[in-house]
Parts: sequence; C-alpha cells; structure tokens
Amino acid sequence: MPFKSSPQKFNAAINTVEIGSGDKKIVLGGECVYPLYAFDAPIENKPVVGIEITDLGVETFADCIKEYYAGATTLGEIAAKAAAAEGASFVTLTFEGADPIGENKSVEECVAAAKEVADAIDLPLVICGCGNNEKDVELFNAVSGALEGKNILVMSAKEDTYKTVAASAGLAYGHKVGAESAVDINLAKQLNVLIGQVGVNAANIVMNVGTAAAGYGFEYVVSAMDRIEAAALSQNDNMLQMPIITPVGSQAWGVKESLVSEADMPAWGPQEDRGVNMEVCTAAACLASGSNAVILRHPKSVATVAAFIDALM
Amino acid sequence: MAKFITIGERIHCISPVIKEAMATRNPEPILKRAKEQIAAGATYIDVNIGPAESDGEDLMKWAVQLIQSECNNIPLALDTANQKAIEAGISVYNRTNGKPIVNSADAGDRISNINLAADNDAIVIALLSKDGIPKDNDERMLYCQEMLEMWMMLGQDPTDIWFDPLFLVIKGMQDKQLDVLAAIKDISDMGLNTTGGLSNVSNGMPKHIRPIVDSNMLAMAMMCGFTSAIVNPCDTRLMETVKSCDIIKNNFLYADSFLEM
Repeated sequence: MPFKSSPQKFNAAINTVEIGSGDKKIVLGGECVYPLYAFDAPIENKPVVGIEITDLGVETFADCIKEYYAGATTLGEIAAKAAAAEGASFVTLTFEGADPIGENKSVEECVAAAKEVADAIDLPLVICGCGNNEKDVELFNAVSGALEGKNILVMSAKEDTYKTVAASAGLAYGHKVGAESAVDINLAKQLNVLIGQVGVNAANIVMNVGTAAAGYGFEYVVSAMDRIEAAALSQNDNMLQMPIITPVGSQAWGVKESLVSEADMPAWGPQEDRGVNMEVCTAAACLASGSNAVILRHPKSVATVAAFIDALM
Repeated sequence: MAKFITIGERIHCISPVIKEAMATRNPEPILKRAKEQIAAGATYIDVNIGPAESDGEDLMKWAVQLIQSECNNIPLALDTANQKAIEAGISVYNRTNGKPIVNSADAGDRISNINLAADNDAIVIALLSKDGIPKDNDERMLYCQEMLEMWMMLGQDPTDIWFDPLFLVIKGMQDKQLDVLAAIKDISDMGLNTTGGLSNVSNGMPKHIRPIVDSNMLAMAMMCGFTSAIVNPCDTRLMETVKSCDIIKNNFLYADSFLEM
C-alpha cells in the first residue's frame, strides 16, 4: 500500500509576538504545528537565537567566552560585538550587577547601562533581572520607561511581581512582557491569565516556562513543554498560546560539565568544548520541545544552533 | 479530549419575550440573551423558532444573521420542525467558528433531517427515538445504528452526528435514569458524540433544587463520556460543574482561575 502522509496541522496556532522594530525586528510564534514540524505545515517564523551579556559586560562568564570579546572595553562595545555574532537575532542584557547581595548597582546605573546597550545595537533587546524580586520590579520599571518605543521584552513577570511588571512594562510603556514560571504548567497558564487580567493583550506576552541544563532534570522540562504545546494546539487553549523563550546559557554554564577546568579534570578534555556542547545540546532539546527563542552565551553555540535551525527549515 | 460543548438553550420561542421579539423582528431581547449566554461560557447558541410554518425561512435567516453579526460569528444550532427554515438559516450561516447544527432528527418522522444536514455539511443532533420515549437501551441502540449507518452512507464524518439519548424526568421515571447513562456510555465507547436536553431530568422540581440535580446528572453523564449538552449556561452551578469535570477529565489544563475561563 502506498504511504499516505497525513499532516498533523491544528486549527489553533501559537500567537505571533514582535520584538524590536524595523528590519531587525524578530517575530516569535505563529506556527500551527508541533515544534519544528515544518513538514506538516510551513513554519513562517522560525525559532531565533539570542546572545546574552550582562551589565558587568562578560566579566563573570567563562574565559573561553571572554576571548570573543577581547578588545571591547565599554559595555556599548561589548554589546556591539555580541550583536555582530554570527547567528544572533537579538541581544539579552541581564542585570547581574543589580543584585543587592552582589554589586548592588543602583537603578540609575542600570538605566544608563540599558541605554548604552540599546544605543550600541540595532538588534531587538531582551532584559533580564537580577533575580531579586524587589530590585527587579524597580529596575524593570525604570528601564522600560527609559527605552520606551524600543519594543523590548522584559523578563520577567513572576507570580509575586506580575502586577507591577505587567502594568509598567506592558501597559505604561508598551513593551512585551515575559511570564516566568519554573517548570509548572498550571502556574504557566495561571500567570498568562493574571497578566491578561492586568490588561496586557495576549499578543504581547511571551512565556519563559523554565529550563534546566540537559541531564539535570531536563525530562521535567520536556514533559512540561509537551503538555503546554498539546494544550495550545490540540485543545486550542488560548491561555497557553504564547510563544516560549528559554534562557539556556545561564543553566548550561552553571553545571560542572561546563565549570570544571581541564587542569582539574584532564580526562574530560577542553572546558570550552564541554561548555559549548552543553549549551548546544540543551538549546536543541528546548527547540525540539517548543521554544521559539533560546538565549545563549558562547558565540560558537549561537552560530551552531542558528545553523541547526536553518538546516531544519 | 476536547472540552465539553455547551449549547445555550435560552433563545426559545416558548419564552414570551423571545416569541414577541421574533414576531416583531425586535433584535434587542434576542441579542441580550445571546450575549448573556456567550458571556456565561456557551459554545453554541440554540435558535428555537418553534414550528414557524408561515414565515420560518425569513425568520431563521433574520435570526442567524442578527446573532452571528453581533456576536463574532458564534456557531448556532438551528432548532425548528420547519426544514425549509433550517436550510434558509444555513444559506446565510457563517462557518468561521464552527459548522451549523441541525436540531434535530430522529428515527421516525424527522429522519430526513439527516439528509438535510448531510446535504448542507452540518452537524446533526439525532434523537434516539421513533415515536415517543424508547422503552429500553436495546431500542436506543437500534436507532443509533440505523441513523449512524444512514449518515455514513451519505459520506459524512461519524463525529458530526451527535446522539441524544433522551433525558427523562426523574419525577415519574426515576427508575430509568441509569439506563440513560448506560446508553451514553455505550455510544461513547464507539467513539461517537452525544448531546441532550439535560434539564428535563429536573422538570417539575422546585426551582432551587433544579440546578443541583442538573449539575449532578451532568457530572455523572460526563463520567460516561457525554460530550455536549443543551443547557442554560447562565446556571452558575451547572457551568462550574462542566468546568470542573473538564479539569478532572484532563480536557482542559488546570490553572487556579479555571472557573473564570
């Protein structure tokens, strides 16, 4: 009997969300098929790769990543270099230095850093906080105001902070809002509902549903993302049809496979190869599970994952 | 599994307000009830124009266009004994959000509504009765087979014929309730869809008791695989039951706000 292909195309689709403006803007989502299933129906907006820097430049990153930025001294120069990395479609600025337990940089310093980065690049900008909720709320508000009109994505609005983050970044300044949950499908959905109730249009919400480095409980990430995709597409659940962005670099470069030096563990081989492999594996797995964008650190990982996406569609 | 489908029953010519609005072509009371039901979570809206022997075609066209144009093309169930009126309604029906439902055919006099639905690419509600109430489930299943076969011979998708087992009034036919549930189970086990006028079970009961009995009957029916019902979506208790059962059956992903969705 001849093979009859029956495309698994749904009568539901992931929302499209634009970040940035002009020629370089990115469009996330829009697909009506499972992740990367371009053979079932065309995927108009293929997944994109972003490159991460922090307000401290790349000071805290592995030496092998720093090498790429050699010669760049100001934050603006570092940002420009990041934006020039092969395969990078957007830049992520993480306010690592704002952490009250760390350098505790003031909100004014953060705003200055955000402006410097925004002025140095023409790629879309994604903002991540320091992880301290109180500080993040303050700095997201100030940075959103300073970058009004740039159509940035502000990550993240969490269960404890969504009201203020959604109201300032999303409503007052018209940016995109990132809803952050940690591998919890019910909370992922609930946050979208709540952010919607604040008044942010569903088309302006992107989800960060959490991740782990490959091998570190990643199967939970896959099952959560699978369930989200199934609800969004096969059950047409419009409270889960937001595109997904996944910060992979921070996880992949935080595990022993990427952190231990070759001197300490000669049998494991070069640290750079291990870190890049960890980052690429995790990113590929996230894309296969439903991420519309991944955020990476090493320029080699960025180029590899971007080439992987291009080769698939 | 897909979410449970509710067909809002409140646009019915038995209501004096609606009857008057239909006779005088007054949009306001009809739109008010349509919008209330949609806000309450109805998936489909039933449009019952009664026998409508004289101006049925014109009336159904008017009602379909009125409700769909004002309510984002909400899908409708066209409910009348007048076949020409159903066809007229379908001729102006917008399918953006779902096929029209022909309400209804049975295994007796109204069997030709199955042809009508097939000819018009519509969903059809098929009552498991011929003349009066079926005496047992053997009779129900006989009609089910008969109408399913006819539908399939017409080249139609078996999931587009929704079988109505006929809910029976508890006050008078209390001993038959489990039969109805067993029929739903048997039909569901074949992968087919079901629907029915649920509130018949509580007919004649005090007003404050009816939502309680209706909700519990619905929960038990959903456990048997029941896929849709013709209900009053403004009954909060009933809609909370539908939503909770959808969560328990994993038809819809849980979130703390699920009752508001």
